[in-house]
Amino acid sequence: MQNNVRSSIERLDRLAASRDLWPLGTLDGWQGRRGELPERVFWPASADEVATVLRDATREGVEVVPFGAGSGVCGGAAGRAGSWVLDTKGLDAISDVDTASWSVTAGAGVLGQHLEDHLQSQGFTLGHSPSSLACSTVGGWAAARSAGQFSSRYGAFEDMVLGLQAVSPTRGVFEVGAGGTAPDHWMDLLLGSEGTLAVITRVTMRVWPVPGARWLRGYHFRRLDDALDAMRRVVQGELHPAVLRLYDPVDTRIGGRTRPKRADGRSGLAARWLSAALARIDAAPGVKPRTLALPLALPGLLNRVASGLSSGCLLIAGWEGEAEGVEALSEEGHRILCERGADLGEEPGERWYRSRHAVSYKLMPIFERGGFADTMEVAAPWSLLPEVYRSVRAALGRTTVVMAHMSHMYPEGGCIYFSFAGRGDRDVYGQTWEAALSAVLAAGGTLSHHHGVGLLKARHAAAEIGPAIAGWRALKEDLDPDGLLNAGRVFVDAGLQAVEPSPRHPPEDHLARSASTASVEERSSVAEPSWPWRTFPGLPRWQRLPWQTPWVEVAGFVDGVFCRLGRGPRSAVGPDLRRWLAEHADSRVTWATAPAGDRWLGVGTPEQPWEVALALLRSDLRPAILTVRAGELLVGFRGPAATALGAMAARRVPGGLVSTPWRLEPLPSGPMCPCDSDDPRAAHVTTQGVFRLVEEEL
Amino acid sequence: MTAWDTCALCPRLCRSACPVASGSGREASVPATIAWVLREWEHGRVSEGDARRVATLCTDCGACQTHCHIHEPLPERLRRVRAALIPFVEPQPIGEVEGDGEHVVVEVDERPVATWLAASVGRDVRRLVTSDHLGAVQMHHRAFESHRDVLAQRLGREASVVVTDGRVARVLRSAGIAFRWLHQVVTLPTDPIVGSCASPGERPMACCGGAEPLRSHHPEDARRVGERFGQRAVTSTYADGACASHLRECGLQVVDVVEVLRQEVGA
Repeated sequence: MQNNVRSSIERLDRLAASRDLWPLGTLDGWQGRRGELPERVFWPASADEVATVLRDATREGVEVVPFGAGSGVCGGAAGRAGSWVLDTKGLDAISDVDTASWSVTAGAGVLGQHLEDHLQSQGFTLGHSPSSLACSTVGGWAAARSAGQFSSRYGAFEDMVLGLQAVSPTRGVFEVGAGGTAPDHWMDLLLGSEGTLAVITRVTMRVWPVPGARWLRGYHFRRLDDALDAMRRVVQGELHPAVLRLYDPVDTRIGGRTRPKRADGRSGLAARWLSAALARIDAAPGVKPRTLALPLALPGLLNRVASGLSSGCLLIAGWEGEAEGVEALSEEGHRILCERGADLGEEPGERWYRSRHAVSYKLMPIFERGGFADTMEVAAPWSLLPEVYRSVRAALGRTTVVMAHMSHMYPEGGCIYFSFAGRGDRDVYGQTWEAALSAVLAAGGTLSHHHGVGLLKARHAAAEIGPAIAGWRALKEDLDPDGLLNAGRVFVDAGLQAVEPSPRHPPEDHLARSASTASVEERSSVAEPSWPWRTFPGLPRWQRLPWQTPWVEVAGFVDGVFCRLGRGPRSAVGPDLRRWLAEHADSRVTWATAPAGDRWLGVGTPEQPWEVALALLRSDLRPAILTVRAGELLVGFRGPAATALGAMAARRVPGGLVSTPWRLEPLPSGPMCPCDSDDPRAAHVTTQGVFRLVEEEL
Repeated sequence: MTAWDTCALCPRLCRSACPVASGSGREASVPATIAWVLREWEHGRVSEGDARRVATLCTDCGACQTHCHIHEPLPERLRRVRAALIPFVEPQPIGEVEGDGEHVVVEVDERPVATWLAASVGRDVRRLVTSDHLGAVQMHHRAFESHRDVLAQRLGREASVVVTDGRVARVLRSAGIAFRWLHQVVTLPTDPIVGSCASPGERPMACCGGAEPLRSHHPEDARRVGERFGQRAVTSTYADGACASHLRECGLQVVDVVEVLRQEVGA
């Protein structure tokens, strides 16, 4: 090589870079099938070195595969034949926490565990806790739009990103987001692009103080639908839980996470028989390999037996943060969950918390015994979750033993995480996925909540987003016109189309629909918007708080073809193209509405109202309204804890707050810039500071 | 099934704990990847040369096993495979313990540490001179057993052995011989000693990269691990003992305890 960037053509390095954690790759490798190796592995130590590698790759016409820690499970990161693998782990610098803006900047190659250790040593946390924390990188989280186990409280990874540095073959090094000069809308497209548009080299993220209190508890529900309904009421009640995880009856039983009891304190006869039988089998030396092989060979039977013998499901709920807030929020959440659920106490929650990163080990015995195991995480609005669950489970259940849990819950819907295991070759594996992906699309869900697309879902991903693929292609043409970056990943247009119309949402979804150009007044005439942005899509993502969502679905016609994006509260099916669609089509937007119920609005006149607003946010309160009008501070809460939270806020505001009738307070739209808290043009606040509209927007 | 299966199928959760993987950035050095490659070698899909190279991307610090949720004994398996793959070179014969006194200093280079220690504590100190760190590079071979027996006879279980080098410390530990570090025997006018695996106090990483087999077989990776160790350490002062020369090669400022002792006694 001409350049001086550290690299290797040693077979060992090429071999190691040729695999990620895609189970199909594991299956192939386990059975001795391996393709050609990548040509070279680079370890650039700076963004400039990344640019050097991309320049040389362009000259040589070589495909480049960005590679972090290789924890992707969809085949998106594995180096392929003849490619150059660009290993980002040399980009490993971490800044100290900026305590003024509650942010940290880390190189793309920083491992999650190292970042979190670094933050915790300074009293902060990212709040991002994927089960891959120890084996995934910051760059990978951004590229594949990761989500952690506490996403209900801290948001998914794109909600944490304040700024990105990236490198593309044509643009070289550029920055987007806070302090960046690249167009704002690139942020939505780079996050989730899985290395197909640019190589992400550095990420600035918002951080939070290490929570002072944590509250975890388990509940037993006889019916899955009852538990889903309770979870929906908790999140739509703006109780901001950190964790809501519901295990379906099979996962509850096989996972052994609870021992549901009858009113007399005893398990059902069938359940006791099955548990005892499995315990005896498990205890017999040398029997396990055969006993596992049998059910994997008869998945349909086992799924039916397990469903028939199961008696309810386990829900784990958790709150964390500042102690007073945790107490108020968890008290109301506990009350809702106990209406139809049985309190199992603290032990199930604490057990989950202790083992939350150990789950991946459960897949190993399956491969060791000649089978395959995989996971699939999809998302949908609340009313569609039961149907998505049933249809995908049925599709997977034809060839595999399947169980699921629901986690990552939002006011607009949630995620279903299927775990499945079967026997057979790569054809069976492929058929299983084909059936499951088709079932998700048919049921109206999105194909991925947080695992991304990779190679595995690239054809179906193209079907899900339809003609909006043009938005990704346009930026691809700008940044990587030769198509060198991670070719074949994310979107492969194979002529599949998912053309279902936008679903009708029942009242419990608390979703409404309007034209994307509708004013806040027009929208408010339909229903109370949860987040009344003056115009869509409100503020750039890094200038709003994670829970302030602008929209769920954006739908319209592109070149005469119907297209809808946002089939769930959150999707990791490639980049977020909703803004592109809203700007390129006569589109209609689905947005969250605030359920009827308790409201509390207070008004106060502290000397520095925006400074007090910032302090309130940083004291872990999450008001629905937090703004300053004519020098008066307005703080409002919705949901069953509204009055308690209002009282809490009043105690924290100098001079207190006086209760006043609830009213709609529109949120500003348009790009903003940081300003001093006493700036008369101040118009918005996040935990990062106070903002005003940029001059040209004034 | 092979001994490597569990690690080879793991999502490589040990990577963040491994100083070599973290410091070198090489995917091949992730402990679970090492296990995967060695499994491939056992199935005849990887050459013996690659197996040898991957098995030596390790400082034998044991962090992977400690970090592992199920505590797979990967370090011991790697020791065994290295013993099979790396030719055994007869260690230098163990010399005689010279002089009189309670302490026995193991001297690893030309510096007369025993003489300086004697001057510092005001009484006689014995010395055992070694030119190959008591054969540390070979310590995981079966053939090392007899060498270890001789060592145990020479030093005896009751001797007060003082060491200044981590490789020597490992050999002594493997032979069950109790020892103390030089900075535990004398009070030296240095800041609290941090960093090295030889040191008490906070450890920024499980190993600075100066240990075997990494240092001999992959010196460039050892240097990178050392540099990263320096970035993550909490002060710019490092203990000698294990890795002073290694850390100096990595461009770090090192307080060599032996040098501090020399200055203290005016030698």
